[in-house]
Amino acid sequence: MSLIPPRTQPGSSGYAPVLSVTDLRKSYGGIRALGGVSLTVEAGKIHALVGENGAGKSTLIKILTGAISRDSGTILLHGKPYLPGSPAQAKAAGVQCVYQELNMFPDLSIAENVTIERFPRRPLGMVDFAEMRAQAIRALSAVGLDDMDPDLPVRKLGIAHKQLIEIARALSTKSDILILDEPTATLTDREVQKLAEILMRLRSEGLSIVFVSHHLEEVFRICDQVTVFRNGETVASERIADVTPELVVRHMVGRALHPAAAASRPKAPRNTEVLAVADLKTTAHAKPTGISFSLKEGEVLGLAGLVGAGRTEVLRAIFGADRRRGGTIRIDGAEVRIDSPSDAIRHGLAFVTEDRKGEGLILPMSIKENLGLVDFVSASRLGLLNKSAEASQADTARDKLSIKLGRTSDAVSSLSGGNQQKVVLGKWLTVRPRILLLDEPTRGVDVGAKAEIYEILGGLAAEGTSILVVSSELPELMTLCDRIMVLSNHQLSGELNRDAFSEEALLKLAYGQHQEVGVKTT
Amino acid sequence: MNTEVLKSGAAIAQGRLLLRKMGVGIALLVLMVLFSLSSEHFLTQGNLTNILTQITINLTLAVGLTFVILVGGIDLSVGSVLALAAVVAGMVISNPNLPPGLAISLAIGVGMLVGLVCGLLNGALSALWGLPSFIITLGMLNIARGAALEVTDAKAIYSFPEGFAYVGSIIFFGVPLLFVVALVLVLVAWFVLSQTVFGRMIYAIGNNEEAVRLAGHSVFRYKLGAFAVCGLCAGIASLIYMARLGIASPIAGVAFELDAIAAVIIGGTSLAGGKGSVIGTFFGACIIGVLANGLILLGLSDFVRQIITGLVIVLAVVLDHFRSRISQGA
Repeated sequence: MSLIPPRTQPGSSGYAPVLSVTDLRKSYGGIRALGGVSLTVEAGKIHALVGENGAGKSTLIKILTGAISRDSGTILLHGKPYLPGSPAQAKAAGVQCVYQELNMFPDLSIAENVTIERFPRRPLGMVDFAEMRAQAIRALSAVGLDDMDPDLPVRKLGIAHKQLIEIARALSTKSDILILDEPTATLTDREVQKLAEILMRLRSEGLSIVFVSHHLEEVFRICDQVTVFRNGETVASERIADVTPELVVRHMVGRALHPAAAASRPKAPRNTEVLAVADLKTTAHAKPTGISFSLKEGEVLGLAGLVGAGRTEVLRAIFGADRRRGGTIRIDGAEVRIDSPSDAIRHGLAFVTEDRKGEGLILPMSIKENLGLVDFVSASRLGLLNKSAEASQADTARDKLSIKLGRTSDAVSSLSGGNQQKVVLGKWLTVRPRILLLDEPTRGVDVGAKAEIYEILGGLAAEGTSILVVSSELPELMTLCDRIMVLSNHQLSGELNRDAFSEEALLKLAYGQHQEVGVKTT
Repeated sequence: MNTEVLKSGAAIAQGRLLLRKMGVGIALLVLMVLFSLSSEHFLTQGNLTNILTQITINLTLAVGLTFVILVGGIDLSVGSVLALAAVVAGMVISNPNLPPGLAISLAIGVGMLVGLVCGLLNGALSALWGLPSFIITLGMLNIARGAALEVTDAKAIYSFPEGFAYVGSIIFFGVPLLFVVALVLVLVAWFVLSQTVFGRMIYAIGNNEEAVRLAGHSVFRYKLGAFAVCGLCAGIASLIYMARLGIASPIAGVAFELDAIAAVIIGGTSLAGGKGSVIGTFFGACIIGVLANGLILLGLSDFVRQIITGLVIVLAVVLDHFRSRISQGA
């Protein structure tokens, strides 16, 4: 008996759709995640799903795997309505998924990890270890790991092997569709090649695979079909043979390319170099060469790239929030040692993190206490809080950043997202930073507050503050920045000056396609 | 009109906050009324003095623990540290070669120092590497107890100078002097927590350590400080213990940490850190003392008293859980 049960009825042609999704919609609160996506996955095909960050890929996967429910739209699995109420139901229906963040038990053996969903049992609830091993060996050989010792703890394996073992686990139960969410994000080229071979073999055995990837080159090498999402809608669904990478990128960006516009920036950045980063290596990724760039006085420099490209890690490493593996930081030409956030602050840096609630604010505390979080030590005497100074500091910040609030003694959690973000910004402005690091400065902020934050940042730059900003929203970077660098897989893949900004060019760099456009490759 | 609505809304919120803050105090008051109705002995001056005497040590330990629990930690070692500080101070104070005045002052300094050092060790080990303070202070619980037994050869120290034990018996208008010491400690702790940078950081770290770290502050230093305060309070409690009982015993303070933690929790301080106050701790310690006293007056056994104290701890946490769920939902 084969471990992997037959997936298609014998005799069914390769064109029978296994899964068809029509006009699927999903909103969170008022935020639309899916505004009508459609997708048809044929039996025995590898179907690529691509799109910018936030295009709706993850939401679709969550619905298909039963993690969340849809608002409207139909999903047919083998022609029958499919509405999984839980991940367990989705698995039982034959929809398996391997997530980007692997869910493994590092101290259990490979065999235990592979069979964890259904341990083979003996009477009295005891585990049948012999059967477990046998099942694991069959599952491992299905993903090309014939010589792997099933008793090895998973902790000892490299990331590529873990990935394959997750796939083996997914396939060890009835599987018609295997969803792989960015399986290659952390793999080396050779490992990607091996994964591709295994996927193609599984395909030839009749399995349908949905392959989410940020790497177009892989998509074109491995997949049969490609569906492009943009802003929660399907914009194209084509056979790979009928499209080119350029066309796919254009679909992702949309015809209505945002003009590199916003001519609203009269001032030119000054020429004094304030920050110079050389060969910076973060702990997140082991690349032989680090990242180097410089930032001028009053310049707004963008850092673009896909999720997982290492943008946040760069900011955290510069700020001393995480350890570095290497690299030097110079401020005003002199090398500085930044081992902790307090070192960074002393050298005039400030860091607005992407996680406002987890890292930026102390939610139960008041607005004025949050605004004073960085600077209250200097506003105090002999260790005593200077509460009147704190209150007037809060009033100043409120007026300067036009924070809409009741009283500054209200809990900061009572504010809207945009106003909370202004509080985070205000907290840092109390120490008058010369270099402002911003990570997704307008995430979860409404349109009005967004424009106000842009204005504030523009004003700061005009006053000479240098800004390094990470954002997943390309229009945001194109509005704010004088220059944009693009990271692809923890390496700089290029940079563009304001006159060369286009979403298409930025996305190409982000997807690691730096043959064209690349003004300068580092 | 609109501002009226806003104002009354704010007033209601204010009122809720006050109720929340005073909830423990009200519970204490209700408890006292109940006991005074059910026992004629309860509201006598002698009995009230007795209660104050009984809660003094627990209150002193609980004040220190409030700092540690606010910062998101726990200190299980306070009872043992009390014993170690007591025997070391006892050895100084009973030294016949020292003049009594000097012996007493030295002993006071040494007792507080021993507590402080134990607290610093707890804090340094748990905060430096982010180790769970539950385990570190469990270790200290054993280490300090073992050390106290070892240095005294498991024998209690008696012969204190006259004046020292006398301090323990002073009562002004029904209020024991030692209780006044603990009360002063409560007020100092309240001031530190609400008016100083140190206090602000204690709350901030308990709520969101990462935000504090990224704001450029040394989380280690403030956590160390919280544990140091807790150890110091255990040292002070050891001196109160000696003054009251006229003895420094290596088996003093066994399981005292449990009542002290209970006082902090009943007082409304969250074990998760960041929320609570030392005033709440004061009322918490009073509730435990009043319960113990009142239940004995009612003729209930000490076992029943233990059961009821346990129920009160559980009730306090359950009530707090629902209270914060409601306020979050609003």
